[in-house]
Amino acid sequence: MNEPTIIRITADPIDLNALQRAVTTPRDGAVVLFTGTVRGVTGAERTDKLEYEAYTEMAMAKLQQVADEMRAKFALIHGIALVQRVGEMAIGEPTVAVVVSAGHRGDGAFEAARYGIDRLKQIVPVWKKETRPDGSAWVEGDYLPGRGD
Amino acid sequence: MLVKLFATLKDRAGANAITLAAEGEFTVRELRALIAAQHPKLAELAARSIVAINHEFAFDDDVVRATDEVALFPPVSGGRP
Repeated sequence: MNEPTIIRITADPIDLNALQRAVTTPRDGAVVLFTGTVRGVTGAERTDKLEYEAYTEMAMAKLQQVADEMRAKFALIHGIALVQRVGEMAIGEPTVAVVVSAGHRGDGAFEAARYGIDRLKQIVPVWKKETRPDGSAWVEGDYLPGRGD
Repeated sequence: MLVKLFATLKDRAGANAITLAAEGEFTVRELRALIAAQHPKLAELAARSIVAINHEFAFDDDVVRATDEVALFPPVSGGRP
């Protein structure tokens, strides 16, 4: 069966409706869509904007790996879209999208989308620089890859 | 050989890649030492950053060839689940 898999690193705004259409096949009755957005307020801290940078060639390879792992773990899902935007983004804008289609909502689409975003945030080489009222700094994660990542 | 840099490392070096005088084969551990010796500004970060060889994560005992595509970067920006 030919299932759509969309892997993309892009400087363009993410069109969530277009992604939903692109992953939906005639056999699908459910689409789960996760999007991460630029958060403007975290507790007492304010963020003005975020800038995302990717190691594009490796990020594309790792996005494909995440999609492969999603298919291996959630056999009933159909379409997958994994899209990371790079460049400067303002508060509220989508920075990343994980979209999964399936025949029914109980076919693992929610779980696959959750797995997909968590895995993306571990192994896909993308970094964000946060600009606050008091200056800007790269945000470093804490996941250190191991063998098999 | 060229070593690509991203995020914090790119800012520290003031460039998106550094040139490294290196030949033949060596380990990732030796790569870190070469970077520290030839680019002292990156010494502290080179010791603890992630190394990728040809778009795969690499570890201290792995072998690097001078012809490989090598990159050095911090842990990816995860965000809180």
